[in-house]
Amino acid sequence: MARPLGPVRLKRTSPGTIAVGIVLVIVILYLLVSPSAPDFSAARKATAALHPLSPPTSPFRKSSSVGGKAGPPPVTRYNLNSVTITNDPVANRENVLVLTPMARFYQEYWDNLLKLSYPHELITLGFILPKTKEGNAATIELQKQIAKIQKHGHEKERFKSIIILRQDFDPPIPSQDESERHKMANQKARRAAMAKARNSLLFTTLGPDTSWVLWLDADIVETPPTLIQDLASHSKPLTVPNCFQRFYNAEKKAMDERPYDFNNWQDSPTAQELASKMGKDDILLEGYADMATYRALMAYMYEAGADIHTEVPLDGVGGTALLVKAEVHRDGAMFPAFPFYHLIETEGFAKMAKRLGWQATGLPNYKVYHYNE
Amino acid sequence: MRADIPMGIREETHSRSLLTALVSLLLFGLFVWPGDSGSFSWLGSGSEDFQLETVRYYDLSNVQGTAKGWEREERILICVPLRDAEAHMPMFFGHLLNLTYPHHLIDLAFLVSDSKDNTLAVLERELKAIQASADPSKHFGEISIIEKDFGQKVNQDVESRHGFAAQASRRKLMAQARNWLLSAALRPYHSWVYWRDVDVETCPTTILEDLMRHNKDVIVPNVWRPLPDWLGGEQPYDLNSWAESETALALADTLDEDAVIVEGYAEYATWRPHLAYLRDPYGDPDMEMEIDGVGGVSILAKAKVFRYGVHFPAFSFEKHAETEAFGKMSRRMGFSVVGLPHYTIWHLYEPSVDDIKHMEVTNSRQQMEQERIAREKEEKEKAMKEQKMKESFGDATGQWEKDKNEIQNLAMQENKKAEEQPAAGQQGGPADGPANAAPKEEKKEGTQ
Repeated sequence: MARPLGPVRLKRTSPGTIAVGIVLVIVILYLLVSPSAPDFSAARKATAALHPLSPPTSPFRKSSSVGGKAGPPPVTRYNLNSVTITNDPVANRENVLVLTPMARFYQEYWDNLLKLSYPHELITLGFILPKTKEGNAATIELQKQIAKIQKHGHEKERFKSIIILRQDFDPPIPSQDESERHKMANQKARRAAMAKARNSLLFTTLGPDTSWVLWLDADIVETPPTLIQDLASHSKPLTVPNCFQRFYNAEKKAMDERPYDFNNWQDSPTAQELASKMGKDDILLEGYADMATYRALMAYMYEAGADIHTEVPLDGVGGTALLVKAEVHRDGAMFPAFPFYHLIETEGFAKMAKRLGWQATGLPNYKVYHYNE
Repeated sequence: MRADIPMGIREETHSRSLLTALVSLLLFGLFVWPGDSGSFSWLGSGSEDFQLETVRYYDLSNVQGTAKGWEREERILICVPLRDAEAHMPMFFGHLLNLTYPHHLIDLAFLVSDSKDNTLAVLERELKAIQASADPSKHFGEISIIEKDFGQKVNQDVESRHGFAAQASRRKLMAQARNWLLSAALRPYHSWVYWRDVDVETCPTTILEDLMRHNKDVIVPNVWRPLPDWLGGEQPYDLNSWAESETALALADTLDEDAVIVEGYAEYATWRPHLAYLRDPYGDPDMEMEIDGVGGVSILAKAKVFRYGVHFPAFSFEKHAETEAFGKMSRRMGFSVVGLPHYTIWHLYEPSVDDIKHMEVTNSRQQMEQERIAREKEEKEKAMKEQKMKESFGDATGQWEKDKNEIQNLAMQENKKAEEQPAAGQQGGPADGPANAAPKEEKKEGTQ
């Protein structure tokens, strides 16, 4: 033990320390100059607006950062000729606007949304919530989750921008209970209100740089993470996956699934006949025994094991999950809050799109799942 | 084992201090680094995110639109569709700058489509000059210039060269442009939307407040245009603001799904009461009239009308398209649609092809008339000269005197003709003077 301490310590610790140091330096340098890091901030910087008065599909610089008195907003040019809509939206850096009318907040919906693999820095989220007790609760929960991601989330998880709107009218039926919601007599008023909510959300958020609009209901809790890429790969004006619902089958004593969205259909002569005898303000509804339309429903076209990219033309669509080329909405196709060819809301939208020359396409074997209450 | 534990800790502390040294060195280096922040965006990203706001929250019940929007800080979006409009820019910007509605509450959105002239550059230059003005009360809010060409579709859509048939597709195309403009520019903070054509010549500076005071969902003024005197002095211009008639409704039922009723064509006699024809120059400017179709020269609407989905149908909606169908759709959704028959703004008079033809005809007629008169004069002169010659041969006493006179006379005529020639080449007016003066003098000479 007469050995001097110093050299021994040096001899025994120095290789490890140096190795750790080198590794750390490499790691730090990698983190600092990793290819993704400058990409994110550059993209964010490039899309940021200089003033709060700007398209909500962009983040904006807070006035405090400008320093002193803010000047007037700049004159901004947008060339809509160069906004592409292609079957490879990721490669072409196309902006997607995900719109969700929300009455209740479901954690499963939010978790599924975060799992979408489409680059989040190209996604703007838009929500509209009623100013009811339920709507207030959902807003608070939503804002909590948003803060988590946008303030503390990883760069990759953060969305380009998020818009929360509060509805300026009361929903006709205060309750969101399943039985109450589906009563036929309530349908027209409920869906007219829903149409107004969808339009309010759409036309105040679309902005000048959106390529695609994904309508995703707040109770869609499970989709493939590649939902946007998959639907866009068809490059159709309107693309609708098949909406199913998981449930516990008491007979089989096992989990099972059943078709859920009956608003995706192909028209039938019976339905046309019914419509022709109706008054101007009456609407056709799907899924009610006392109004048999004999339309071909996409919900029943699902074939297990078949190609998920099989396409069928549709005349009516549902809004649970629906990808729309922004130009369809820009042309004026909206969700009629009034009977339009005896159709309303999303079904009326498909008809209006058709009047403008845009055809709806369904993917019967591509499934997304609705919440089961 | 015992010795290893402190050794391990010591090892850690050492590597930590090494790390701290390295990191501080790096950080120091970065702070001292002279380059611009752009090259170090990967460090800047942290601080950048603090400055960027990515979440926006808006309560739409705050943007309903009221009768006194200027007092309640209600934002208004002015939408202006443009196409080859360079010539109208100075006039338009004159009107824009004179608007009395607080400019900071006004957002401007322009759609420039299929323009072959310099509209875009002029527009951008003028707008930038306004925003850079030293007077902050001139500054507007958000200003968007949107470029979108629909050109290709024009060619596809033209079903026929027949003016009447082309009208429907022209209106559908206009509708499409309006919808693209609105959907790109409408924001959750707008209470009002005002549509204005660039070619309005005369308009009260208080038009926004004047229309807003009525507190209607959709409201339009009467639109007339001045005319040259030979066309009657003035004329109703916008015939698209009308109230529905039974005749028109019955007519609509007989037409096929894609037909578009357009006013002012003999093909569709609708017998509708037009806002334009109900004008009384001395009438109460606040008088309201319920209408069903609206014209697009100057429309004030509450933003919620557009938020709820009303737009300018680019398809046949209830047998109408564009602004007329916009009126129809507004009514269908239960919104109030009103016109002011005695509150008039004036559209620019641009001579139509027919007018220009008419003026050319009158001009050439005037010219022909002058030429005819000039030719007659010449013939008269010749005849007179011949007569004078004959007379002068008979009388020899004043021969010298007469010869002198004649020479002077001829010289004068040459001069007159020289004056006449270039003048006649121009307009008829100025040529009248010398052409008329010549024969008078001639007559005087002759009678002497």
